[in-house]
Amino acid sequence: MVSKKVTLTNKTGLHARPASNLVAFVKKFQSTVTIINGEKKANAASIINVLTLGAKQGTELEIVADGADEAVAVEEIAKYIADLKE
Amino acid sequence: MKTISVTKAASKGIVMGKAFLVVQQNLEADKKLIRDSEKDIEVKKFEKAVKDTVSDLQVLAKDNDIFAAHMDVASDPDLHDSVVSKINDELKNAQLSLEEYIVATVEMFENLDDEYLRERAADMKDVGKRIMCHLKGIRSNPFEGINEETIVIAEDLAPSDTANMDFKFVRGFITEGGGVTSHVAIMARNREIPAIVGVAGFRGEVTNNDYIILDALGAKIIINPDEKTKQEYLKKAEEYKEMKAKLESMNGLPATTVDGRTVELFANIGNIPDAENAVAKGAEGVGLFRSEFLYMENTKFPTEEEQFTVYKAAVETLKKPVIIRTLDIGGDKELSYYKFDVEENPFLGWRAIRISLDLKDVFKTQLRALLRASAYGDIRIMYPMIISVEEFLAANEVLEECKQELRRDSVPFNNSIQTGVMIETPASVMCSDDLAKEVDFFSIGTNDLTQYLLAVDRGNQKIAKMYNSFHPAVLRAINKVIESGHKYGKIVGMCGEFASDEKALPVLLGMGLDEFSMTATEIASTRYNVRNLSYRECQKLASEVCIKGTISEVMELINNFIDKSK
Repeated sequence: MVSKKVTLTNKTGLHARPASNLVAFVKKFQSTVTIINGEKKANAASIINVLTLGAKQGTELEIVADGADEAVAVEEIAKYIADLKE
Repeated sequence: MKTISVTKAASKGIVMGKAFLVVQQNLEADKKLIRDSEKDIEVKKFEKAVKDTVSDLQVLAKDNDIFAAHMDVASDPDLHDSVVSKINDELKNAQLSLEEYIVATVEMFENLDDEYLRERAADMKDVGKRIMCHLKGIRSNPFEGINEETIVIAEDLAPSDTANMDFKFVRGFITEGGGVTSHVAIMARNREIPAIVGVAGFRGEVTNNDYIILDALGAKIIINPDEKTKQEYLKKAEEYKEMKAKLESMNGLPATTVDGRTVELFANIGNIPDAENAVAKGAEGVGLFRSEFLYMENTKFPTEEEQFTVYKAAVETLKKPVIIRTLDIGGDKELSYYKFDVEENPFLGWRAIRISLDLKDVFKTQLRALLRASAYGDIRIMYPMIISVEEFLAANEVLEECKQELRRDSVPFNNSIQTGVMIETPASVMCSDDLAKEVDFFSIGTNDLTQYLLAVDRGNQKIAKMYNSFHPAVLRAINKVIESGHKYGKIVGMCGEFASDEKALPVLLGMGLDEFSMTATEIASTRYNVRNLSYRECQKLASEVCIKGTISEVMELINNFIDKSK
């Protein structure tokens, strides 16, 4: 299991289109990916879960991956989140 | 060939098509606890239902992006894992597990105060329904399969049903329930779809694919007509269309009698598409905006912002006066998200202004939205179900509170916004003199007024014949209200179905009614009729009618008058 912290900088946060795009991106990896926002945990492959995180601009998130490609997954997903534009 | 004569044409016109009988759906979960040995079967059932739902959505997604989003929800791992664990760990059957998950998720989304997530709540519900339909083995859209000219036949129809109908093919409605004032009737008129309602036992008369002629002009339904009859009706339908076009060509002209009395023709609306239609049909304002639709079609009390947006859009669409009736629920109108106590006499119970004055926060939210929208056009506020001067003053006091709050926050609004009373209770008729001193306007709601004056439940089929607004008691009440209003220089309008009744028109005109508010589609023919009537003759008719003691004498006078003026 590998984890990494990342801060949301985009305006929308993990919401609307950025959230759906992230969920689609996460599905590329074999590992189970969890996103943690304080007390709340979300299965990153679930749009329903991700939306209920209510992660806004400026929120620090922890990405946890568990599986064959966990190291790559955490790096790429953290980068993906940090680079969100919208 | 079989002909059925009916009494209630709810929306005019002649149309024909294949019969389509709507099968009513029950989407509630069949709640069951299961045995350990049944777990696998339930999980399989659920997974199959999800798979079928996704493939349905795949087809739909080709034409509409929203269904692509629904596909994501349907195949969401959280949905899958949560439902499966409810089945395995809590031993609940698939239907119950699904229902619990959807309810909980929808609630979670709705509680986050966020427009985007509220829409996702609606998506969740929709997807939940689709999966549930597969679990229960029923069609997800009761109107699926309509692909040629069709007459929809149902026990009753709800406003939301129209969202599922393909109006390329749906030509008309026939329902067993409902009266001319029911939701299905109002919806049909707004959409200009001919409809006949209250045909008890009709579904026993037809089978799917019978050929139906729906004649809402002659109040007749013909099942499987012969070729000659069919041709005859095709011709009639064509003639009706031409006449309607002719009437609508008069839209720009004022509703002025031959001897120069001008009245105002307003529209009754329930939403923004109605407002657009009102403009298209030549309405000179809105006499009744039924704000309760905003509440009834919502999943929670609409916020000030939501309401403000709609009221503002309405008045900006019309660019003319818009009378908005404050929340009128209770009686037969309920909210999915608010629990009403069961009452022995709901129509004499906690409804309309009584609720508003009790739930002050809800009332203030609406009044603030109305006030804010009044900065953008001529919005007028109408309180429903008033029985006393005190109630009217109490409502205005809450309004004054809202004004002060807005003033303090420097939010613009029309300080001299007009407030009026909907006259629909016998008490308000008897006290109309006293009320007239206080209000800016009256609007007579004949639907409820008739029901209360005659003590006849307008939804009760057994006594439907007794529900008649030409009853001398109703006519005299209307006359009294107009007199009281005019004594104090106040405008008196009418927003019930009676306002567009061709036979009532000369009487109401003669009594001096100033404003007639009706379904937008009735405006053109009313304008045509007003322009062919003489105010003086109508005044004479009205004074004669008011001293007649029976409905038959009243009708005889009116029929003679109409025959003579043709």
